[in-house]
Amino acid sequence: MPQDLTATAAAARGKGRPRVADTAAPSLVELLNMIRAADTTTRQELERRSELGRAVVADRLTMLADLGLIDESELGAATGGRAPRLVQLAARRGRVLVATLDQTALGVGVADLAGNLLTEHHEEFEMNAPPDMLAERLTTLLRWSLDRQASPAGLWGISLSVPGTVPGTSGDFLTKTPPVVPAWEGFPLVELLTRSFGAPVWMRSSVDTMTMGELHAGAGQGLSSMLFVKIGRRIGAGIVSEGRLYRGAQGATGLIGTLPIHANDRSGTLDAMAGSDMILREGRLAAETGRSAFLADHLRRGGEITALDVAQAAQMGDEVCAEILTTAGRLIGQVVATLTNTLNPEVIVLSGSIVQTNDIILAAMREAVYGASHPLVTRDLRIIRSQMGSSAGLVGAARAGAELLFAPGFLKDWVMQGSPLSHPGFTAFRSGLDSTPPTPPSLPPPRRGAP
Amino acid sequence: MTISGLGPHGERAAPPERVTLLPEDRAAAKARGFRVAVVLHTLQSDWAHQQLSGMVGTFGDCGTAVTHVIDCAFSPRAQVQALEELLAQKPDAVISLPVANEEVALAHARLADAGIKLVLLDNAPTGLLPGRHYGTLVSADNFGLGILAAEGLSAHLPQGAKVGLLGYAADFFATNERELAFTKWMRANRPDLSIHQDGFARIDDAADKTSALLAAHPDLAGLFVVWDTPALKAAEILHRLSLETPIATVDLGEEVAIGLAQGGPFAVIAAQQPFLQGVAAAQTTILTLLGHLTPAWIALPGISVTRDTVVESYQRIWRRPAPQSVLQAVGLIP
Repeated sequence: MPQDLTATAAAARGKGRPRVADTAAPSLVELLNMIRAADTTTRQELERRSELGRAVVADRLTMLADLGLIDESELGAATGGRAPRLVQLAARRGRVLVATLDQTALGVGVADLAGNLLTEHHEEFEMNAPPDMLAERLTTLLRWSLDRQASPAGLWGISLSVPGTVPGTSGDFLTKTPPVVPAWEGFPLVELLTRSFGAPVWMRSSVDTMTMGELHAGAGQGLSSMLFVKIGRRIGAGIVSEGRLYRGAQGATGLIGTLPIHANDRSGTLDAMAGSDMILREGRLAAETGRSAFLADHLRRGGEITALDVAQAAQMGDEVCAEILTTAGRLIGQVVATLTNTLNPEVIVLSGSIVQTNDIILAAMREAVYGASHPLVTRDLRIIRSQMGSSAGLVGAARAGAELLFAPGFLKDWVMQGSPLSHPGFTAFRSGLDSTPPTPPSLPPPRRGAP
Repeated sequence: MTISGLGPHGERAAPPERVTLLPEDRAAAKARGFRVAVVLHTLQSDWAHQQLSGMVGTFGDCGTAVTHVIDCAFSPRAQVQALEELLAQKPDAVISLPVANEEVALAHARLADAGIKLVLLDNAPTGLLPGRHYGTLVSADNFGLGILAAEGLSAHLPQGAKVGLLGYAADFFATNERELAFTKWMRANRPDLSIHQDGFARIDDAADKTSALLAAHPDLAGLFVVWDTPALKAAEILHRLSLETPIATVDLGEEVAIGLAQGGPFAVIAAQQPFLQGVAAAQTTILTLLGHLTPAWIALPGISVTRDTVVESYQRIWRRPAPQSVLQAVGLIP
């Protein structure tokens, strides 16, 4: 049974001596993050790396075990003497709810404290819908997901991947909803989720989370440098340097879609000139004028043209659609080439449903990047499609959630209580929410009985 | 073709036409003489027989031998053991329906590590990725099936009624999708209804769960069960209690078709097309083995079946004449 060590520490402390929480917390934070980073380690390894001394490490590991934060039940391989006891994060002690909020889809999942995704679900959802509809569907799906992974483990946090830049890099949990999309202006999404689930909420941009997903579970595994490019209505890039996501001064990196470009006597941002809105517009025009036989037939049968239809038609050999995608790929490739020459990544990963559907954008981008880059930059460069789809965002949100829960600045204030739900800043925030009346609309109740 | 759902990784569906085999594909496959194993959740259902029939026939056309057909009896442990044994047998490809999520994920991932091509049916364990661990997932549009069931049952439910939902208490992509779609459609289109749900972990538990649901809500006006075999258990309970509560379910099994033709207890069936799903799975496997790129998710739309359409739907889905009892019940034969 995990204990709150602040109570026992207070009783044991003598007059005038520093509180154990004050002295132990920094070393607990250091050791716990070493254990997290190593996945699995031993006491001997921790003594060597932390330089804390055997007695201190033994004492702190006992405290972490009493708090229920680590597990020492497994033995490693013996190398002559007794088999060493393995030290691991108690990843199943708590759960993290994750969600991806894209322009046209909603994804939800449940992760453990190591950031491993345990379950996921995706469905169509128009992000232009009123925010109360989003809040209701999101809450219903998150509650359903948590029920699906029923376990005594409590919910420790909610990590959201959102379709826009989330300002700030402090890593603090959110106490109000950032206006990531215009429709959220003044809508208390974060407050509603905190009130409904009783756990801290974090947000990261979808490009950030997808980049982290690719880095930890996709094409970027084990690499130290990667460039991730998401192509949709907006075009964004995620940058991995020295094995970590680069977030810049304000969390506003990789906004390549806003760059002005000029091509074929037209000027505009990369989003407008090469994003899925352009593909849709040109596809519709090709259908209406009959230039694309495939799309014209689709239109005649009462079908509505989407950007994905244009991509599928291109893949099935429609020349006009292939040209539309080639144009998009070349324009994006020219901008990505600049980044490639600047960053010298090992791999460039392309993502987004249009890229997923066909090879033409990939081929056009490869041509543009290889043609405009220094030979040393492209010598071992791979340009590939993501295999993770929207799972990248969920996996990345799970990783981000785990990192933020155990970020030293946040962890030091809850580690002695054994749960982030007891973090003094968070308990104060919840008290404040509880003392103010909930903002309509009311949210659905827990699942059993009335989903 | 309208597909309502998204794939297990948020993929947009590709139609089965994307894996059409050309004569040269069949010839190339015949020249290679592939060996394929099929690992199913059960071999005790009409759905499994039809799926298998679609696969085996298509493989026969391509000179590909089906060397193993394994019944896992819904047991994750049995499936892990079967996949471990197949590792030693080294077939060229395995078509598998993962019966669980986390418990069977690693066993499936090992096939890819061993160079065995994997095509999944109906379920993709979390963490397995298309292109890396498996080629393609082939399934029905399970989200669409949940919507069809909700639409069909809604017509039988009075204003303000209570409706029961009997889900599968396992983390399984197909049944999760049906359950979520059913509740979503009802909330959006019939906000007057209240939904009361429970889940069964084993098919045999479906009867007890139905009894418990009825004990808690004796005035249930309708019931959705996420597939037909457990729905038959629920129907037995309703019959025993002399209740005429309409049931919606998924898959047009023979007994369910008879119930539908007789005007109860089944009111609407959201049917998959297992034969065509089997054909698509086999075609995908052949193209994967020949080194072609296949879509991450191929989905086939569902068919809404009512008493009026039960005979034609039965023929369309099962590729054989409807049973005599169905034909009699709808008055086509004396």
